Amino acid sequence: MQEIIIGIGVTALAGALAAVAGAAEDTESNIGSQGDPNSQVQLAPQMGYTHRIYNKAVSGEPPAYTLWVTLACGVAWAFLMLGVNAILAIIFGTVLATFVQGVYATTAYLGRTASLSKFGQPVFIDVVKSVTTVTMAHAFVAIFATVTVCYLMMTVIGHPFALPLLGIVWGLALGAAGSATGNPYYGKERQYQNQKFGAGVPISASGNIVRYAEAGQRSSIDNGFFTAKFGGPASGLCFGLIVFFELWRTIIFEDYLAGWGAVIVGALVIIIFMIIDRYVEVWARKNYGPYAVEA
Amino acid sequence: MSVKVEASHDGIPHNKVMVIGAVISLVSLYIAIIGTVIGVDYLAFFGGFAAVGALIWGNSTIKKLCSYGIGTGVPSAGMLAFGSGVIALLFAATLGGISIWIVPVAGLIIALIVGLFLGWISNSVLNMKIPVMTRSIAELAAVGALALMGFGVVATGTVGFTGIATIEILGVTVYNASYIGAGVIAVSFMLGAIALQHPFNACLGPGEKQDRTNMLAIECGFLSMIIMAVISFVFVSLAAAWISLIVAIIGWFVSYVKYLALSKRDAAAWLDAKPFSDAEE
Amino acid sequence: MSAIAAKPGANAGSFQPIPSVIAIVIAIVLVAAAYFLGSSGILAGGAMFVLQTLCLIILGAALIAFGVHFVPVGGAPAAMGQAPGIATGVAMLATGAGLAGLFGGAWAAELGLGVALASGAIGGALMMAITCLMVNISYVFGMGIPAASGKVEKDPITGDLQAAYKSQGTEGHGLPFISYVGGVIGGLFGGLGGTLIYIELLNFYNAGLPALGFVGAADINMLSVGLAGIFAIGMFLVIAVLSAYNITGTIEGPHDPKFKRFPRAIVAAILASAVCGLVAMLVVALF
Repeated sequence: MQEIIIGIGVTALAGALAAVAGAAEDTESNIGSQGDPNSQVQLAPQMGYTHRIYNKAVSGEPPAYTLWVTLACGVAWAFLMLGVNAILAIIFGTVLATFVQGVYATTAYLGRTASLSKFGQPVFIDVVKSVTTVTMAHAFVAIFATVTVCYLMMTVIGHPFALPLLGIVWGLALGAAGSATGNPYYGKERQYQNQKFGAGVPISASGNIVRYAEAGQRSSIDNGFFTAKFGGPASGLCFGLIVFFELWRTIIFEDYLAGWGAVIVGALVIIIFMIIDRYVEVWARKNYGPYAVEA
Repeated sequence: MSVKVEASHDGIPHNKVMVIGAVISLVSLYIAIIGTVIGVDYLAFFGGFAAVGALIWGNSTIKKLCSYGIGTGVPSAGMLAFGSGVIALLFAATLGGISIWIVPVAGLIIALIVGLFLGWISNSVLNMKIPVMTRSIAELAAVGALALMGFGVVATGTVGFTGIATIEILGVTVYNASYIGAGVIAVSFMLGAIALQHPFNACLGPGEKQDRTNMLAIECGFLSMIIMAVISFVFVSLAAAWISLIVAIIGWFVSYVKYLALSKRDAAAWLDAKPFSDAEE
Repeated sequence: MSAIAAKPGANAGSFQPIPSVIAIVIAIVLVAAAYFLGSSGILAGGAMFVLQTLCLIILGAALIAFGVHFVPVGGAPAAMGQAPGIATGVAMLATGAGLAGLFGGAWAAELGLGVALASGAIGGALMMAITCLMVNISYVFGMGIPAASGKVEKDPITGDLQAAYKSQGTEGHGLPFISYVGGVIGGLFGGLGGTLIYIELLNFYNAGLPALGFVGAADINMLSVGLAGIFAIGMFLVIAVLSAYNITGTIEGPHDPKFKRFPRAIVAAILASAVCGLVAMLVVALF
């Protein structure tokens, strides 16, 4: 019984930490401009729109976060082996991962921007200084929370995988959840704020991203203010729910029906999510209506 | 989207870069093996040079392959390379049971064979019709195996399977804290996969210059080596780990500063706290 | 994934009969080679065990390749609401789901093969179910955009008309129900295939490592887990990237015309996994 209570507690804690990680991850990637929406940041100068947006083309979010989390897990494991206390070890791992993230961010921005010299896009050193540090701060939160989740899974819950392997699994899931949920909100809603609300960006408008802020010229930090209001929490909810339900279904129901209990509950949860999705889809069709009269 | 991939005209042809990278990598690995054979581990830092050499080679290959537009991002090529490279690497490590001297060459050859299969599959079965596909994927798999071997040497000081599968703690052989058993190989895997694709991906664009991209490849290699050197404190002697760490930090710092200078050289303008001027306004 | 665009055209999408037959033949030769390695004692566990392991690894890879084609991924255009699907890279999203499944499957490995496989499949599907739901919530409640497909007139499951809900100048946006179901099925197959590869390799190493001389300690299982884990991840990435090449980066789901390309990817996965699987098994070969 006590085991189950500890399990429930850890499940809740892991879910909460994952929610924090997801929110920080999405905000970080939007401030740094990473992932698919970054294609527009890359495209804009070629269409004649010079801008002050960061260009963190390290890779898509999933591979990048897999690296940060895995290496933080690996370094944390090394410090644990050297007899350092667990919290401190995780912090050391996270600090190193954040350092690597910052270096990759600067080299990506400088590399991409220098390669756009033909179109007159300058390198803004003040952008490097101000934005890199802000992305590093958010990355620290995201990585620390995820590594802690992995550590809880390994030690308290007793998953067979070693810490870095868990880092690959959950780093990738973090990046996938964050980019899937958060990317459209940054790409469509923020970069193309000047386009019609409630409609996709017409392909002809590609590259014409918003480059001016409420006052002065927009830098990537202004994007963080915006996406932190919806894209970040939504990504956090997404990753938090994933971690929570993966653990919850196994910890509570694995003892039933020789392990099949967890499978059945998982299937039920999937069906519930499917019904919610259908409801959301129909709700949108009914309330927003068709763009043109249905033939 | 409509961002075109334009590779620059290279000052140094690809074949030459490939030979230089492969030779640096193999020679460094053999120097590290000399250390294993004579029983000292402070030559482990040569693993970092092996990884850097492999990354220079891989960077040039990725540039050649991705200039064709492979349908999905550059990072996927890095993942493919290391996914196949890790399998070849561990098989080669097993062959170290016969003689440790054959491991680097065996890893190279096995990875090339696995990569040839994967490249042929992509090109013929999946009908991608990219002339350099088969060769490039084979090269990338080999790069993956060599870079992983290099990182493994930095961390553990050896390339043999026994060395990376076991660890002596207080005279007892244990498996769960070894390079493989504790999953540290996953760290090498991800470090290498991102470091391999990053230089070309980051310098992508019409103004891409070979020397700048190569400098970034070197920088990524040393940056990854810093992490492996930190982890190596668990596996190798204190002196060896400190040597690796200091070499890695110096190598990273020098290449990073040089990369900054090259970026400054190639940038349209280098502005601090100045707004952009818009032609339309 | 990055700013590099999909360049259609080079990829006609047709099945390649001659290379496919060659690929299958090579795969069969490799399986036969594994059989002989098993019967001659180079690979531990006996010929049938070796044969079964490699065949199930190939089956797992084929499931992954098939599953990737279900995952609705729109790439960069999806991030601007210009195309339907999830706005990220197909290889990494499918791998994310597959590894979430692998997490569940590896956890349940001691409860038997059936439970582990089912748990892996459900784990992958659950990850995709939540992600796809949040994508739609983001589109509907964050951006006020309803879901619409660009490739079909009617949603094959619900029968909803799509064209009128597509905003001007785009190819559609969001995840219509068919894409949602496709995502869940993709996660299901990915988790199943990944777990199958992992468990087969785990059993194989548990049998093979002691024969290689790695005995004496109780924690030998950790070594097998480490090896099988990194190989399962590596092979998953190889198969997912090859499948991503097959669909040239973006796909809407099972109703997309590109979905019909899946036989090619399965053939590719069979040969790729036969090569990688055999080499991975040779790690514990006795020479």
